[in-house]
Amino acid sequence: MVALANIGVLPRPVHPTGVWSWLTTVDHKRIGLLYGATALAFFIIGGIEALIMRAQLAAPGQTIVSAETYSSLFTMHGTTMVFMVVMPAGAAFFNYLVPLQIGARDVAFPRLNAFSYWLFLFGALLMNFSFFVGAFPDIGWFGYAPLTSNEYTTTAATDYWLLGLQVMGIGSLSAGFNFVVTILNLRAPGMTLMRMPLFTWMTLIVAFLIIFAFPPLTIALTFLLFDRFFDMNFFNPAANADPLLWQHLFWIFGHPEVYVLILPAMGIVSDVLPTFSRKPLFGYPMIVFAGIIIGFLGFGVWAHHMFTTGLGGWANAAFAGSTLVIAVPTGVKLFNWLATMWGGSLLFKTPMLFALGFISMFLLGGLSGVMHAVVPVDTQQQDTYFIVAHFHYVLVGGSVFGLTAGVYYWWPKMTGKMLGERLGKWHFWLMLAGFNMTFLPMHILGILGMPRRIYTYDAEAGWSAWNAFISAGSLVLAVSILLLLVNIAISLRRGEKAGDNPWGAATLEWAISSPPHHYNFAVVPTVHSRYPLWDEEANVLEPPPLPPHEEPLMPAPSYWPLVVAFAIVMTFAGLLIWQWHALIGIAFMVVMALTGLRGIYGWVFEPLTVEAPEAVQAHS
Amino acid sequence: MYFDTTVDAHRTSTGLNNRKLLIWAFLGSDVLFFGTLIATHLLYRGRSLVGHTEDIFSIPVTSASTFILLMSSLAMVLALSGIQRGNLQTMRFWIAITAIFGSIFVGFQMFEFHEFVQEGLTPRTNLFGSTFFTMTGFHGAHVAIGVLWLWSIFFASFRWSAGERNSLNVEIVGLYWHFVDIVWVVIFGVVYLVGAYGAEDRILPPVSWFGG
Amino acid sequence: MATEHVAAHKEHPGPRQYVIIGVILVVITAIEVGLFYIQATPALIVWLLLASSLAKFLLVAGFFMHLRFDDRRFAILFFVPLLIMVALAVALMAMFFSLTR
Repeated sequence: MVALANIGVLPRPVHPTGVWSWLTTVDHKRIGLLYGATALAFFIIGGIEALIMRAQLAAPGQTIVSAETYSSLFTMHGTTMVFMVVMPAGAAFFNYLVPLQIGARDVAFPRLNAFSYWLFLFGALLMNFSFFVGAFPDIGWFGYAPLTSNEYTTTAATDYWLLGLQVMGIGSLSAGFNFVVTILNLRAPGMTLMRMPLFTWMTLIVAFLIIFAFPPLTIALTFLLFDRFFDMNFFNPAANADPLLWQHLFWIFGHPEVYVLILPAMGIVSDVLPTFSRKPLFGYPMIVFAGIIIGFLGFGVWAHHMFTTGLGGWANAAFAGSTLVIAVPTGVKLFNWLATMWGGSLLFKTPMLFALGFISMFLLGGLSGVMHAVVPVDTQQQDTYFIVAHFHYVLVGGSVFGLTAGVYYWWPKMTGKMLGERLGKWHFWLMLAGFNMTFLPMHILGILGMPRRIYTYDAEAGWSAWNAFISAGSLVLAVSILLLLVNIAISLRRGEKAGDNPWGAATLEWAISSPPHHYNFAVVPTVHSRYPLWDEEANVLEPPPLPPHEEPLMPAPSYWPLVVAFAIVMTFAGLLIWQWHALIGIAFMVVMALTGLRGIYGWVFEPLTVEAPEAVQAHS
Repeated sequence: MYFDTTVDAHRTSTGLNNRKLLIWAFLGSDVLFFGTLIATHLLYRGRSLVGHTEDIFSIPVTSASTFILLMSSLAMVLALSGIQRGNLQTMRFWIAITAIFGSIFVGFQMFEFHEFVQEGLTPRTNLFGSTFFTMTGFHGAHVAIGVLWLWSIFFASFRWSAGERNSLNVEIVGLYWHFVDIVWVVIFGVVYLVGAYGAEDRILPPVSWFGG
Repeated sequence: MATEHVAAHKEHPGPRQYVIIGVILVVITAIEVGLFYIQATPALIVWLLLASSLAKFLLVAGFFMHLRFDDRRFAILFFVPLLIMVALAVALMAMFFSLTR
């Protein structure tokens, strides 16, 4: 028994700075920054992939890349932007901000939080590692069966794709559980659910969507894994399987996923608008309930991605109806945002501009989405550039504009320095112009009949002028992102110092110093209203920093989340070794699985805080 | 302790313990995990072109393993009842019974898989094989993890004092265990009994199962 | 949902009740297996089998998992995804078995 009880008591990592401090951190703020930096890196990679595609399509009949490379480019562009950029960017914000906004010192399970990040990072690296073995996934971000079967993808590319996605999915799931518990349970005294900042509310809904929508994806990927590695029949038409099963399972996950991508941006905008309108959010409960309704309905619209697969009239009618209905709560939110600004003293700082960009661009994306709810219209638009235009208006015009608003808004809180306002405005206007130059004409190309995912086209098709224009627009968009990077670099080097509350905002995160102490709140505040810092009665302002001996006991850094995450990704990667040499592969997987098991025991038996006498006693 | 999320249930905003909320959220998510597996099996029902399907089931044998799993759930809840009344000895006894019954269930399943393969049904044979082995295999993996978890609790408990924290450790593994049990209730009812009803040219297990 | 809300727990059942529930579960299982060997209208047997499975499900969830006695919010956290899953499965079966054409 001695061995079992002492299993977790290894020397604890103690480095306050340096690489090891980041590798072993369990601080939600540091994990948030890790998510953010990783998302930004993949944003650049995904952006470069997009620019290569636009270079290829700038003129008819070009051969900058081959058809195969082009397929890989759109596959990895989509997968990267969805799973490695927008999702982790949202995760960056909800890791950094949710504990601050609810008046907590960390998340409910700090080590689980680090574990989620490492799984995400390792999954993303595993998928992108396919590049170095010369097999870039080329099956589309949706990976439709039976194109993914051994018969049609003979390289390991699809294996890397599915294993990487599976690992990232486990990471998202564990983050989802963590934030459900954190938001429900770790609120400061007086912070009732209906007093939570909107960003926290939307994160709660996202966390629920993740834990309920990811299991179908996990299963679908498992089926695919078994088909590819063990020759099972889940998507094998020769065994009378229905390849449409993949589409069903993928979109049962995929449509809630759309709301996982957009709701954090909606939450950010709902926090930014009141600050820069100097008045409370109009219709707070309506926005909350609209978010909840969107969350539920999100599970009932998946087949609108499949109108052309011949589901039958009743199915099409039902899903057309539910798709029209889901536009209503979204519309409710839009009107509430407009009403928030009505009569306010508007301040057009950069975060506000991006929030307005979000509202207007997302509205356009939403409207073309409603068009797709109409089955005959959708049948015309299926697989044309009209669809490409639609979802880029939602994901770039919506998510990316909203997340960028969040970057400008919370950057001072995270770093203690302001981003340049002048460069920020240039960034905004160039991005707005570049974005619309790139994606507005895609509607027209779609109506003209240009199909998606073609690597080149004929000059006689009459699409050349618009394509040249779009490619030029994409360069403008790229320059605007470059301005953001320049702005970040300047701010980090010699940015103007930000006070605790540079925007005069009202929520709890602005009560504490910028950047916050590692324990966030010296004294956990008591909340009396939705806008505590605008509330004269409230006394939530942070006292001066605590002397070291009075600092609250915080969770200690730990090696185990890193060890377990590494063991999991390596166990999955072992399948790739198994393909090459069965015995070595199995041995590798067994070793890695045992490492993971050892890591889990270490984790469980390791006290969360170093000097907690009760916690040590309980185990020894 | 602010961060000792295991003890201090009353300090949370909802009054619910963090870890208990976590396991319930996990089980809610696992509902969709197993739900998708079972749904897929039902969607592909009757579509297999070759090989055995539901006719291969031996209802008497699976009834026995179902009985074992139900009884393990009863043992589990008695273990919890033991530690909640401060009796670690009782708890350990019933935890061991639960784990042993769980192992017997896994043993039944390995036997069943082995027999099916002997009779020519593998995961590669047809759609039924793919969905059946995957679904029940994942369930068996859940049971096996539960057995490991139970033995860990068993051995760790020699250093425990009876208290709210440790009783929560048992309660949480119990929730997981009962969940795995009700998944089997659904699989046994829907996949085995409803699935095989009408295919009763094979209501008795083949002689070969008994060494004949 | 107010903060600092301490859930009012109903009295948990004791070992006696647990054993009784265990016996009921075994009896239902025996009935199920019996039903399986009865030659009758398949539809009737199938519905009876589904109903008995549901009964066992609810007994284990309600008593062994304490959902009947514990905080109601745990039950919500469990049954909402269950309802979503049942709805998804029914919709999928309707489409797969061509009931929507």
